[in-house]
Amino acid sequence: MGEIAIATEELTRTFGALTAVDAIDLKVQAGHFFGFLGPNGAGKSTTIKMLTGLLAPTSGRMELLGLDFQKHPVEVKRQIGVVPEGMGLFERLTGVEYLRFVGRMYGLDRATTEKRAEELLEFMQLADREKTLIADYSHGMQKKLALAAAVIHGPRILFLDEPFEGVDALAAGALKALLGRMTERGATIFLTSHVLEIVERLCSHVAIIHQGRLVAQGSLEELRAGVAGSEGETKTLEQIFLSIVGQSGAEQARLEELTWLT
Amino acid sequence: MADVAQMPGVLAQLRLIAGLRWSLLKNGLQRKHSRWDLLGVTFVGVFGASLVLGLSVAFYAGAYAILGKNRANWMAIPFWAIFLWWQVFPIFVAGFGANFEFKTLLRFPLSRRTFYLLGLGYGFADFAAVSAVCWVTAMVLGAAVARPEALPVMAGVSVLFVLINVTLERLIGSWLEKILAKRKTRELFIGLFVLSMVSLNFLNPLLQRYGRAASPKILEYLPYLAWLPGSLAGSAVAGSVRGDPRAILLGMAGLCVWLGVTSGLLWRRFAAQYRGEEISESAASASAKKNKALAASAEKAKGQSANGEWLPLVPATVAAVVLKEFRYLTRNGMAFFTLLLPPIMVVFFTLQFGKGSPLREHSLKPEMFFPAIMAYLILILISPAYNAFAFEGKGIQTYFMAPLRFQDVLLGKNLFLVALVTLELSLSLALLVWRVGWPSTAMFAATIGAGAFAVIGQLTIANWSSLSFPKKMEFGKMKGQRNSGVAVWTALGVQIVVAAVCTVIILAGRLLGNPWIPALAFTGLTAAAAGGYVASLGTLSRLAEEKKELLMETLCR
Repeated sequence: MGEIAIATEELTRTFGALTAVDAIDLKVQAGHFFGFLGPNGAGKSTTIKMLTGLLAPTSGRMELLGLDFQKHPVEVKRQIGVVPEGMGLFERLTGVEYLRFVGRMYGLDRATTEKRAEELLEFMQLADREKTLIADYSHGMQKKLALAAAVIHGPRILFLDEPFEGVDALAAGALKALLGRMTERGATIFLTSHVLEIVERLCSHVAIIHQGRLVAQGSLEELRAGVAGSEGETKTLEQIFLSIVGQSGAEQARLEELTWLT
Repeated sequence: MADVAQMPGVLAQLRLIAGLRWSLLKNGLQRKHSRWDLLGVTFVGVFGASLVLGLSVAFYAGAYAILGKNRANWMAIPFWAIFLWWQVFPIFVAGFGANFEFKTLLRFPLSRRTFYLLGLGYGFADFAAVSAVCWVTAMVLGAAVARPEALPVMAGVSVLFVLINVTLERLIGSWLEKILAKRKTRELFIGLFVLSMVSLNFLNPLLQRYGRAASPKILEYLPYLAWLPGSLAGSAVAGSVRGDPRAILLGMAGLCVWLGVTSGLLWRRFAAQYRGEEISESAASASAKKNKALAASAEKAKGQSANGEWLPLVPATVAAVVLKEFRYLTRNGMAFFTLLLPPIMVVFFTLQFGKGSPLREHSLKPEMFFPAIMAYLILILISPAYNAFAFEGKGIQTYFMAPLRFQDVLLGKNLFLVALVTLELSLSLALLVWRVGWPSTAMFAATIGAGAFAVIGQLTIANWSSLSFPKKMEFGKMKGQRNSGVAVWTALGVQIVVAAVCTVIILAGRLLGNPWIPALAFTGLTAAAAGGYVASLGTLSRLAEEKKELLMETLCR
C-alpha cells in the first residue's frame, strides 16, 4: 500500500438541518487519478471545498499528505492546487497578471513565477491574450487559466471541480495530457465531473457520493465487480453509477408521460 | 409541425409582456432579502404618484392660464419642459441597470413590425413616459377649457408630440444600450456621468462669475431651438389661437418630419436587433492580433512593477495584494473617476467660500478651513475601506486557497488605501495652499496628525466591518452598489466619534492657548491607533477564517 494522499475520517458538514456531507471516510493513494462522482446536490462540491480549506467541516478529520488540515492549514495549502467551483478568478486582472499574483501568493520567487506564468500561458494557448482582462475571456479560456493557476506552484495534490465543463475538445485534450503527466510524476488528482465518459477514461479510482453519504469507493475494476450483471458483460461507469445511485429507468418512466412530445 | 394553433396578436403580446413585467416585480419583492425594499418601493411609489398628480394640476393650470390670458406664444414652455423630462430622465437612470432586456423577446416568433410596435409599447411603460402622457393630457384639458376652438389642433399636436417623444426616447435608449453593452464604454459612461454630476456644483460659482458676460451669447443661439419639437408644438398651438393657418401648418409639418425621421432611425435600430445584432463584448474576442502587438510592447514594460519585489520591507504576499489592488483601481472606471473628487471638492469649496469668492461674507480663514476640509476629504476616501472585499467577486476564494495568513491580505489592502489617501490628501493640501494660503505651522501639523489618526484609527474597525458585513459590488454598475446597512452605520458612527475627538482636541488647543497641544495629542493618538491596528491583525485573521463562508457566499454569487 502506497502513501495516502487524502484521508478523511467521519467528515461531516451540515447547513442548518441539511446534512450535505455525512460522515464520509475517503482514502486516496498518492499518484492516483481519482474521480469523485455523484448526482446534483450529492455533496461533491461541499467535500472538495472542505478538502481545500474553503469550508470548515462540522465534524470529522481530514489528512492531506499526512498532515492534519485543521492543525496545519498553511503547510497543506502550500502543497495543493485547486480549481474551485466558479474558478475563483480575479476577473479584473489579465491572465498573466493573475498567474503572477497567484505565484507570489504561493511563495514562488519572482523569476520562477515569471517563467512558469509564461510557459503555462503558452501551453494553455492564452499567451496572445496578454492584455485581455479575464472578465473578457470565454468560459473555456477562464477554465484553462484557472487550471494554470492551480498548477503554477507544482502541487502534489490537485483538486478539480468540473474542470472540463465548457472547454472545447482541443483544449480538453491538452488539459488531459497535462493531468496525465502530473500523475506520472507522482501527483494526485482529485476530480469531480458529471461527464462519466471522461472520468472513466482518465481515472483509475472512483468514489461515489449520494445524498451526502459515500456509497462506493475503489478502483474501476472493484466497482465493476461489485455490480451484478450478465456474465461476460463489461459494465460502463455510467451503468455502474446508475446502478449504485438507483435512478436507472426513472427518466424513461417519466418520458413515457410526455405523450405529446414529438 | 409544432402544436401552435394560432399566433397571438400584437395586443395579446403586449398584455403578455405587461404580465411578465408585473410578475418580475412581484416575484422580486417576494424574495427574502427584498422585503425591506418593499418599503422603499412603496415610498417611491407614493412620492412618484404625488409628483405626477401634482404636476398634472400644474400643467393643467399652466395651459389654462397661458391660453386664457392670450399668451399663446408661451405654450412652447410646458412642451419643452415635458420634452426635456421625457428625454433626459431615462438617460439619468440608464446606468442603474435594466431589470428586463427587451431584446430577449426575440426568442419568440415575432414579425419585425410586431417587434417594432412592442418596442414602442415598451417605451410607454417607463415612469418618464407615463408621467409625461399624464401631463400632456392635463395640458389638453386645460387648453380645451380655456380655448375650446384650439382643442382640435392642441389634440393633434399632442398626439404627434407624444409619438415623437416615445420614438426618440426609445431611439436614444437603444443607442445607449449599444454603448453600455461594452464593459469599457459602460464604465467610462458611468464615470463621466458621476463626474458631470459633481461638476454641476460649479454651475453656481461659474454663473456668479461669468453669467452676465455669457448671457448675450446664449440668447444669440435661442432662435435655433424653434426647430425642435417643443417649440414646434407650442408654435402650432399658438397659431390655432391666433387663427394663423401658416403657423399651424409649419408647426404640424415640422412635428411630422421629426416623427418620420425618428421613426425611420428607430426602425433601422430595431431591424438590426431583429436580425440578431450582437452588441456585447464582441470586440474583445476579435482582437487577438491587436493583443499580440500589445503583448510585445507589454514585454518591455515588465520588470519591477510586474512582480512585487518593488515594495521593500513587506512580505511578497502583501506586495502582491498591493499590486493587485492598484490594478483593480485602474480598471474600475467608477472608482478611478471618484479619485478626482477630492481635488474637485477643494476647488469647489474654495470657489464658494475661499478668498475672493463671491460669497465674501462666508469666507473662512485657512486656520479653520484646513482641518475642516481635510476631515471632509478623509470621510470620502476612507468609506470604501468598510467594505474592502466588495469588488473581489469569486477571486476571494484565492485568498483562502493560498498558503498565507489572512492578515497579509488585510495589510496589503490597508497599505494601498493609506498610500492612496496620502496621495490624494497631498494633492488636496497643495490645492488648498494655492487657493487659501498656508495655515500656521502648528495648525498644519495638527491637521496632518489628525488625518493620520483618523485614517489609522478607522482601519481596524473598517477591516472588522469588511469581514463581518461584506456586500458584493460589480464594476460598471450603479444599481444596488452600496455597502450593507450595518457597514454604513458602523462607518458613520466611527467617523462621528473620530470627528468629535479631533474637534475637542483642536478646540482644547485654542482654549489652553497652546497651538502645539493638538499636534502632540494627535501624535500620541496616532501611535496608539497604530499599535491597536498591529495588535488586531491576528484576531482579524482568525475572524476571516470564521467568516470565510459568509464572504464566499456573498461575493461569489
